[in-house]
Amino acid sequence: MKIKNKTFRQNAITYAMVLLFYLICQGLIMSGNMSSLMKGLMVPICYYVILAVSLNLVVGISGELSLGHAGFMCIGAYSSAIFAVCVDGKIPEMAELLLALVIGAAVTAVFGFLIGIPVLRLRGDYLAIVTLAFGEIIKNVVNAVYVGVDENGLHFSMKDSLSLGLSENGIEIINGAQGISGLPRTATFTTGIILVFITLFIVLNLVNSRQGRAIMAIRDNRIAAESIGLSVSKYKMMAFVISAALAGVAGVLYSHNLSTLQATSKNFGYNQSIMILVFVVLGGIGNIRGSVIAAFILTILPEKLRFLSDYRMLIYAIVLITMMLFNSAPKAIAWRKSIKERFFSGKKAEAGKEAQ
Amino acid sequence: MEEKIIKAADVRQEKGLMLNVENLSISFGGLKAVENFHMQIKKHELYGLIGPNGAGKTTVFNLLTGVYKPDTGSILLDGENITGKHTIDINHAGIARTFQNIRLFGNLSVLDNVKAGLHAHYVYGTVSGIFRTPKFYKMERAMNEKAMEILKVFDLDEAASYKASQLPYGRQRKLEIARALATEPKLLLLDEPAAGMNPQETQELMDTIRFVRDSFDMTILLIEHDMKLVSGICEELTVLNFGQVLCSGATKEVLNNPEVIKAYLGD
Repeated sequence: MKIKNKTFRQNAITYAMVLLFYLICQGLIMSGNMSSLMKGLMVPICYYVILAVSLNLVVGISGELSLGHAGFMCIGAYSSAIFAVCVDGKIPEMAELLLALVIGAAVTAVFGFLIGIPVLRLRGDYLAIVTLAFGEIIKNVVNAVYVGVDENGLHFSMKDSLSLGLSENGIEIINGAQGISGLPRTATFTTGIILVFITLFIVLNLVNSRQGRAIMAIRDNRIAAESIGLSVSKYKMMAFVISAALAGVAGVLYSHNLSTLQATSKNFGYNQSIMILVFVVLGGIGNIRGSVIAAFILTILPEKLRFLSDYRMLIYAIVLITMMLFNSAPKAIAWRKSIKERFFSGKKAEAGKEAQ
Repeated sequence: MEEKIIKAADVRQEKGLMLNVENLSISFGGLKAVENFHMQIKKHELYGLIGPNGAGKTTVFNLLTGVYKPDTGSILLDGENITGKHTIDINHAGIARTFQNIRLFGNLSVLDNVKAGLHAHYVYGTVSGIFRTPKFYKMERAMNEKAMEILKVFDLDEAASYKASQLPYGRQRKLEIARALATEPKLLLLDEPAAGMNPQETQELMDTIRFVRDSFDMTILLIEHDMKLVSGICEELTVLNFGQVLCSGATKEVLNNPEVIKAYLGD
């Protein structure tokens, strides 16, 4: 069917774009043409893309403004980091990373479900405010927790590391605000790209399935969706939980790219949540490929603008505004359409000539 | 013994009824929006619900579809008690509706709107959907065929790939009916299907409604202001005025009833 082919082609373009990006970067790294600064950005690009795509599932596809995405990333990062410290050196690296991804996604999905129960009863601004609060709560709770392990099992405390009461050969896992240290840095650019592919695969296929159709139908008209028997709470929850689990995966990637994991307002605070939302909005709400491109550009831009020193953030803001205008201003959309039409009609005319 | 026979007769009579509403009331604060409403619709019937503005017609629809919970009364659909159930369950029990102000899934394609309606009848799991198992392809193909079949009835098959919001008004109304039909209801509720249509479109719509009733073996209840449409296709009518049933019966008799004329035209 014609329509099916169209979505298939669109999805193929998205996958091809990510693959092309991977090959170019890999080529640059192999030939030694990439600075170490840029090399360090490769994994962050991957987790930001995953975060943007997963948030787009809630904001764009499900139509609910969620501002707590960094909180889910935090849960994924911490749960996988605890696992990593516990099994450090006992199992091979690849197996550890794989298991950490599964654990990170599962734990975050459970939290996503628990948070979703109260949050998804709300709509619009209220939902945004409550998710924002949940994000902050997660970050602050994680900062106040002390966890240790010894032969008697896990120990928890909310006071300090001494009150854990660990035996002599026990290890502290989470040391309050100082976080988790001694993490294996096993995340690579390749694993990151594979995870990006998996995320895209899940989100794009979900959107083009029976479930995705139900989610978008509920977004477009809740009352009509109920009148044709679609369960609003079930499908809203589905989008929310899958999105949270993917954010958890991004968190795992984040924690496995560092040797020390700390929850600060910079990495898991609301600034981060807003940043992810900026990726989604600039890429186009509901536009998955747009999220990928926006996350990529906006992660790399601050580094590329470093030569401007003091004017860096000024130029960054100008680029943001320009991108926004290009994407959403009616005049810009009309202009893009006219360019596209000229391009396509030119093609058609040529095809006509050949036929003659 | 005699009692039993009478009960059996009652059941048989009830079996002939698609919808049996009795003593239905709801009030919002002090306002009695619908009071002591009753209506019996036989299977395969085209039934009309009319009344002046603000009489409570749409409220009755909202009560039937579970948007509001009635204060008193009972609603039996094909013998099954659906009083006070949730909208979703009522749809699964067999009532589908359209809305007075069109409610389509504007950003979805025309085809997807109908496929959303087919949701409960072509089932595959989330995992199957994400990993594209053979079941996914089988179900999607069957869904596409069924949806195109329904769209063809409404002359919308060529517009299948358009966004629903891009359709002109009259065709949006048709799409809404198509989507409701896709849920395979026993009873179809149409809330002012001809609103905003020109006479030619209305004529077309009348033919379509009749066709739907006959080819899908459907029972249809409609709210309408267009008297030409009402007298043209409805077999029986109930007239609602100030939340109460003014009269009900065969269309011709009801429309010639002096009280009905008075309610519409005033003294």
